[in-house]
Amino acid sequence: MAKKTTKIGRYKILGELGRGAMGIVYKAEDPNLDRTVALKTIIIADDADGAAEYRKRFFMEAKAAGKLNHPNVVTTFDCGDHDGMAYLAMELVEGTDLRTRLTSDGVTPLEAVDIVRQVAEGLAYAHERGVVHRDIKPANIMIDEKGRAKLMDFGLARMRLADHKTTTGMVLGTPRYMSPEQIAGEPVDARSDIFSLGIVLYEALTGTRLFSGEGIEQVQHSIMNVEPVPPTRVTPGIPAMLDFVVARALKRDPKVRYQDAREFAGDLATCLAELRSVENSADSGSRTVRIEPSVGKVEDAPAARAIAVDTRLPLSHLFDSTAALKRATSSKDLARLPRRVGLVRRVFVDAAVRRLFILLLFAGAASAYITLV
Amino acid sequence: MNASIVASVVFLKIQDFARRPASEQARLRAQLEAVVAVVTAEVPPASRIVLEASDGAALVFLADPVAALRLAQRALTAAAAGLPLCAGLNHGALQLSGKKGAEGSRGDGIAVAASIAESAPSSKLLASRAFRDALADAVPGAEAELVSAGTFTDVGLRAHEIFTPDARALARRRRRYGMAGATLAIALLAAGIGWRITTDGKPSFIAPAMAHPYVRAFVHRVNP
Repeated sequence: MAKKTTKIGRYKILGELGRGAMGIVYKAEDPNLDRTVALKTIIIADDADGAAEYRKRFFMEAKAAGKLNHPNVVTTFDCGDHDGMAYLAMELVEGTDLRTRLTSDGVTPLEAVDIVRQVAEGLAYAHERGVVHRDIKPANIMIDEKGRAKLMDFGLARMRLADHKTTTGMVLGTPRYMSPEQIAGEPVDARSDIFSLGIVLYEALTGTRLFSGEGIEQVQHSIMNVEPVPPTRVTPGIPAMLDFVVARALKRDPKVRYQDAREFAGDLATCLAELRSVENSADSGSRTVRIEPSVGKVEDAPAARAIAVDTRLPLSHLFDSTAALKRATSSKDLARLPRRVGLVRRVFVDAAVRRLFILLLFAGAASAYITLV
Repeated sequence: MNASIVASVVFLKIQDFARRPASEQARLRAQLEAVVAVVTAEVPPASRIVLEASDGAALVFLADPVAALRLAQRALTAAAAGLPLCAGLNHGALQLSGKKGAEGSRGDGIAVAASIAESAPSSKLLASRAFRDALADAVPGAEAELVSAGTFTDVGLRAHEIFTPDARALARRRRRYGMAGATLAIALLAAGIGWRITTDGKPSFIAPAMAHPYVRAFVHRVNP
């Protein structure tokens, strides 16, 4: 029977909070400060190749995360190693993570926008200090009892990724929330976190998985190729602006994505204000209702840059094109290519050419008269 | 529904749409929808199909390139009201397909219009050679309004000759044709007078010709 862990470093273990791919998370007590913390352990096997390098990197990442002090970021208090196990002592957030909330009763659009806005604020703070998260996902977003969202596990994705790369040569993360540049194995920056947070926002708003598939390859293919259906089409009633916010956060090209999380948070704050005003007007008994045509599943429209010969543009549902569609299907004349305009037709129809022709005709007749008579 | 047609496409594109803040995107999109609603109100519903693009709209005109050009010009005046719009015009093949309520369209007609709009500067309208030819076919002479604006190569490495409207081009053409007509008329008259002067006193070449038995027989038959 395995020996029960009672102490790690100076921390007294109070209980287990959860288990993950990298290790176990404990509820622990720091006797020096008489403070309850979350103690995240990461197993570093002594025989693993590059264990020393891994340990060095771990402490470097932990130090970077330790410099972050923001209401929307889980604070890292301490780090160390104990019996071949590295640990991080972090702020203990009493609450649930977003993944649990989404899989249980879900969140309202207002809550979803508020949570993601708070996370974006925390991310902006971290990005300004040069720290990129690299593994934004609902499971890494804690929501406390007051509804405050806190982002955790800064830098740990890099540890896992670096470790996995050395052992198998593959890129591994949380595939459903990876950015296209992460999938491509390109260098990632703050904009990669914004893409991942965009996926979280979409899933929180719609209650559906944005990119799914049976295996990692299918998920990655979806991320690289599938155009998301705008959230307003999945969840009618939410502000139309959220379609634009989500679309911009989920741009595959990082250059046209939100360039910083603060801008993302700013747009979400505007959406939040709109959602709150709708909620308030609903409470007061009056409500503005936007009537949307009921058309079922509607495909997303591509941008001009992405339109090729085989790119399909959907019909606009704001304008009735039924009569023209009917005409297009019934008339055979509409398949005719333009003809070259002949001289005779041009003389008859083109006024300038006609005038020139008449003038020359008269001049020719006059000239003939002078010559012959 | 499934139909293949050849039609004029006006692609209205909001400039730098992807780079703008979402609040501005929402505002511009609403403005574009208002502009399209106003300009399409003057076109018979049986002549136009409105398609959606994320950063604009594509308007398909059935057998009416003149209406397409006028609509694009009218839509661009909206740029003065703070809508950074540009337009690409093309005339080409399209395929309409899809179930009822989920119709859509694809084809070279749209793709070229979109790539032309993509290359157009703000508040500018650019048209393809195919559109100019279609305009000439519909109303011979109207194509003169579109003057050459050079060439550009799209992402598929296809080179396109592009044209832009010039309000004074028609007047210039009228003047040019008038001048040419006047010059040629004067030249014809001068040639006639010159001939008359150089042949004055000499027997006219027409007399021996008229003396020919065939010509005399013909004149006799016409005027007995």
